[in-house]
Amino acid sequence: MDASIAAEKPAAEKPPAAKAKAEAENPPTQTQRPEPVNLIMIGMAGSGKTTLMQRMNAYLHERNDAPYVVNLDPAVAKLPFQANIDIRDTVDYKQVMSEYSLGPNGGILTSLNLFATKLDQVMEIVEKRAQSKRYFLYDTPGQIEIFTWSASGTIITNTLAASHPTVVVYVVDTPRSASPATFMSNMMYACSILYKTQLPFLVAFNKTDVVDDAFAREWMADFEAFQRALAAEEDETFMNSLMHSMCLVLDEFYTHLRAVGVSAMTGQGIPDLFAKIDDAVAEYHAEFRPALERQAQQKRDAERAQKADQLRRLMKDLSTTDGKEVDLG
Amino acid sequence: MQHCEATKRRVHLVNLDPAAERFEYPPTVDIRELITLEDVMEELGYGPNGGLIYCFEFLMDNLDWLEEQLGDYEDDYLILDCPGQIELYTHIPIMRRLARLLQQWNFQVVGVYCLESQFIEDTAKYFAGVMSATAAMSMLEIPHINVMTKMDLVSDALKDNMDRYFDPDPLLLAEDADRSTGGRFRELNQAIATLIDEFSMVSFLPLNIRDEDSVAYVLSHADNAIQWGEDQEPKEPNDEVEDPDGE
Repeated sequence: MDASIAAEKPAAEKPPAAKAKAEAENPPTQTQRPEPVNLIMIGMAGSGKTTLMQRMNAYLHERNDAPYVVNLDPAVAKLPFQANIDIRDTVDYKQVMSEYSLGPNGGILTSLNLFATKLDQVMEIVEKRAQSKRYFLYDTPGQIEIFTWSASGTIITNTLAASHPTVVVYVVDTPRSASPATFMSNMMYACSILYKTQLPFLVAFNKTDVVDDAFAREWMADFEAFQRALAAEEDETFMNSLMHSMCLVLDEFYTHLRAVGVSAMTGQGIPDLFAKIDDAVAEYHAEFRPALERQAQQKRDAERAQKADQLRRLMKDLSTTDGKEVDLG
Repeated sequence: MQHCEATKRRVHLVNLDPAAERFEYPPTVDIRELITLEDVMEELGYGPNGGLIYCFEFLMDNLDWLEEQLGDYEDDYLILDCPGQIELYTHIPIMRRLARLLQQWNFQVVGVYCLESQFIEDTAKYFAGVMSATAAMSMLEIPHINVMTKMDLVSDALKDNMDRYFDPDPLLLAEDADRSTGGRFRELNQAIATLIDEFSMVSFLPLNIRDEDSVAYVLSHADNAIQWGEDQEPKEPNDEVEDPDGE
């Protein structure tokens, strides 16, 4: 292929991605620092979040764009990368379990809670690094509910989202999701997370070296193909109309996410992953930032209204008692 | 459990959570008698996730133990306390197999999915709850009810707001969701609201654990789902008398 055409083509098709990629490849100069991006890695236990994070870490290092890495999993034994901030430095998971007589889940949740109390310190450090780093990778605990359905998980996600463009990378165990029912379940849960976080969503179909993600793409693109696959697998009939309605929900859901097939083991798909991340960042600026600011404004307005209301009541009390002594006894 | 005892219903607690720590009511059947998470983690060096999955696979291999344990309680009400990890319901067919087996052993099974009310601050979060419930329950293929727990902890102001989740009007819900998500998810909100409207099993029942009526309400829904009480045989006078369900 002609070299010049090959070089031009990406620019014509996807200017933002190509530009961002070029920026990533050539370290940014002092004048044009790209805005830092938070990537929250979420996924079910065993989906390969941490391995994928390591692959992304290595990829960025190769491009002289080393990311800032934060580990939020207090129970992990060994990490394949060196984390810049590690929750295990702040909280001793085993000690938490014994001190508070908790089981393993309780231990992780409490560790996360304790960490969340120190979040402002963490954000200060991150802000300093934001000058020199572009990507901030956050690894979450292995049990997905602990992050997605906990107060501390929500606080962490919201704080990150308010500071810089934040993208949720939902890691899927592709081989395990190859059955239509499991796939649907997994996607439903992803939809749940989308509603909870309301952030740009990127589904990373991991382990494509074991099972290719082509089936997933087909099911997401062709609603009827998925229905057929589902009908073929399921022999129970009473769930069918419910399943059908759920498929409709999913079909809508897919329009709100982008997907990429990757293999953390072989490195396949990683460049595409980062291209899609850049798309997600653009989406953040176009849609999410305004929404977040609107929410923040609403909160401020509500607070102001509340203060005004309290003040009014206070004035009312003062006027009725005419400044006389009020017996509080 | 308290409620059932008060209404003299024979009920037994079956604990299927190998990592559980303590109980207010001693379970009649306990998976920890067969295997505990601690032992698995110690002996096999698994982490908490791997260990849990191993425990369940072990249970699957030792189903005759479970059958034996449950055999004495064929006519009674069993409450099975299951672990929270959603992977057990979505990715690994263990729970599903267990549900099927229970049905094969002539048990009528209903799934009760519990979600804390604390997280339902607005309609978007409510939809998140609906989605996660559906994700877990769709795999089990058993009748199920969704319960919103800890309603006693919800402030009065919020409680009024939450009434719309328990008697959902799809149009209002979709509008609400549009507001809290800023209009991005309009069609998706519509689709989910339609789902909630068409299938009552997708909507939630409130549960205030301190309110006897609330507990009875949830229980009656569960009973309905499994048609409890329809084929009860009259018991001998010297046994506990079953209260006929006449709510």
